[in-house]
Amino acid sequence: MISTEKMVDGRSLGKTFGAQTALAPLDLIIAPGERVALAGPSGSGKSTLLYILAGLIQPDRGQLYLDSQAVSQLRPGRELSEAVGLVQQQFDLVPQLPVVQNVLAGRLGQWGLLRSLASLFSARERDAAAAALSRLGILDKIDQRTSQLSGGEQQRVAIARLMIQSPKVILADEPVSSLDPAQAEEILKLLTSLADETGGVMVASLHAPDLIRQHFTRVIGLRQGVMQFDLPARELTPPVLEALYDLYRDSQN
Amino acid sequence: MICTGTPKTRGAARFLETTRLLTLVLVGALVWSVAGAGWGGGIIHTGGAAAIKDFSLALFPPELSPEFLKVALAASWQTVVHAVAGITIAVIIGLPLGIVASGSLGNPGRSRLAVAGVVRFLLAFMRSIHELVWAVLFVTAFGLSSLAVVLAIAVPYAGILGRIYSELLNDVPQGPLAGLRSAGASPARVLIYGRMPMVFTDLLGYSFYRFECALRAAAIMSFVGIRGLGFEIQLSLNDLRFDEVWTLLLFLVGLVLVVDYWSSKVRRSLQS
Repeated sequence: MISTEKMVDGRSLGKTFGAQTALAPLDLIIAPGERVALAGPSGSGKSTLLYILAGLIQPDRGQLYLDSQAVSQLRPGRELSEAVGLVQQQFDLVPQLPVVQNVLAGRLGQWGLLRSLASLFSARERDAAAAALSRLGILDKIDQRTSQLSGGEQQRVAIARLMIQSPKVILADEPVSSLDPAQAEEILKLLTSLADETGGVMVASLHAPDLIRQHFTRVIGLRQGVMQFDLPARELTPPVLEALYDLYRDSQN
Repeated sequence: MICTGTPKTRGAARFLETTRLLTLVLVGALVWSVAGAGWGGGIIHTGGAAAIKDFSLALFPPELSPEFLKVALAASWQTVVHAVAGITIAVIIGLPLGIVASGSLGNPGRSRLAVAGVVRFLLAFMRSIHELVWAVLFVTAFGLSSLAVVLAIAVPYAGILGRIYSELLNDVPQGPLAGLRSAGASPARVLIYGRMPMVFTDLLGYSFYRFECALRAAAIMSFVGIRGLGFEIQLSLNDLRFDEVWTLLLFLVGLVLVVDYWSSKVRRSLQS
């Protein structure tokens, strides 16, 4: 459901941890249908920006609106989880739970506490989880312990959880960094189609320029917490990217 | 690069020096206390060697008459009942207290920290008093009853379990928790879907270990006059029936081994 020209509207978002500036204040406006890649070396502030967009950390200053609603006003739980969802690299599932429970965790924002507790023992809405898993081609894993799945399979489970959650804005923190090229391709396609079905906005951090050009419409370069460029993805040429990573190396010596 | 002093390596060197100094002090204290233990002085029991010999030989064989085995079995049962009841109550009290002490419930803020601090103090109070001292207190209050033993085990063990539970719950990987939060899970839901499943096996294993300790504790409650394996051991010792003492000790070891076996079975079934 697209109701505004600005799905994401962030003004002077910044974050410092102690004396360290994780993210210098920046403006970020994203229209429906945009798929934004965040590029930059580790420690450049990509994750901090994603966590701010996800409402998981509060920016020091600035205001963030998702679909015209102030994130600070959204109640954690239902309202926030309907607005925005995040997939991280392989570490964001609970390894000890069966796959079905990790998928259904996407409903935790909507379920009451008792229902959540009961579902741990006898899965509620198992059909919805099964539907998502079968779309991702891993229905046969539904009752396996999550830790027994491969990295690529776990990433699919995380995406299945996001499908169940169905937020308007989809965020992904290095979703393909631990996957082989074929799997990476597959996962990005899935994320893109999921974004198209919900609010049409995806923001993901990743390093591979080919994948950025192919799957994204826009790319933002970050270095040491400062935005370096904000370009259409097709303008991400090797020199631009090299400069982004080179500059960082220079500052280290 | 030869280590001639970026600030970082100098800091590391200073840290090493401090550590070495601390080690020296601790080793010194150990040597001093061993030397000062008074090995030479005091009165030596001249019949000691003979007593040890008598005691050792009594193992071959221990007292195995049906009548005495019945006594040992009844005493073991008594001890097991006290230990099971004690550890059960300890888990029932310790788990919620441990969860609150871990500060993983409720919204972040000063009130949560204050509540967690108070509960942590309560847990420390419960476990800093030994179960035998609790036993004396509870026997004074309730008389020589099973209730006194059970509570004497339950209270300090709840303190120990609560503390360990809270540490386990806090010491989990943060990634899965952030994943649950971004899916809209409240702290309570993060607890039951994230923290609990991640620590459950450890939590169970530690509780079983504490159950073993509770068996030993229940056995020595004879010191305050309550029946059980320890009580029978004391009676047999008074009669100088070392063969009976051995039988009772073997029963105690048997109980601990059974719990150990049960614990590893349960944990293995959870891990697969």
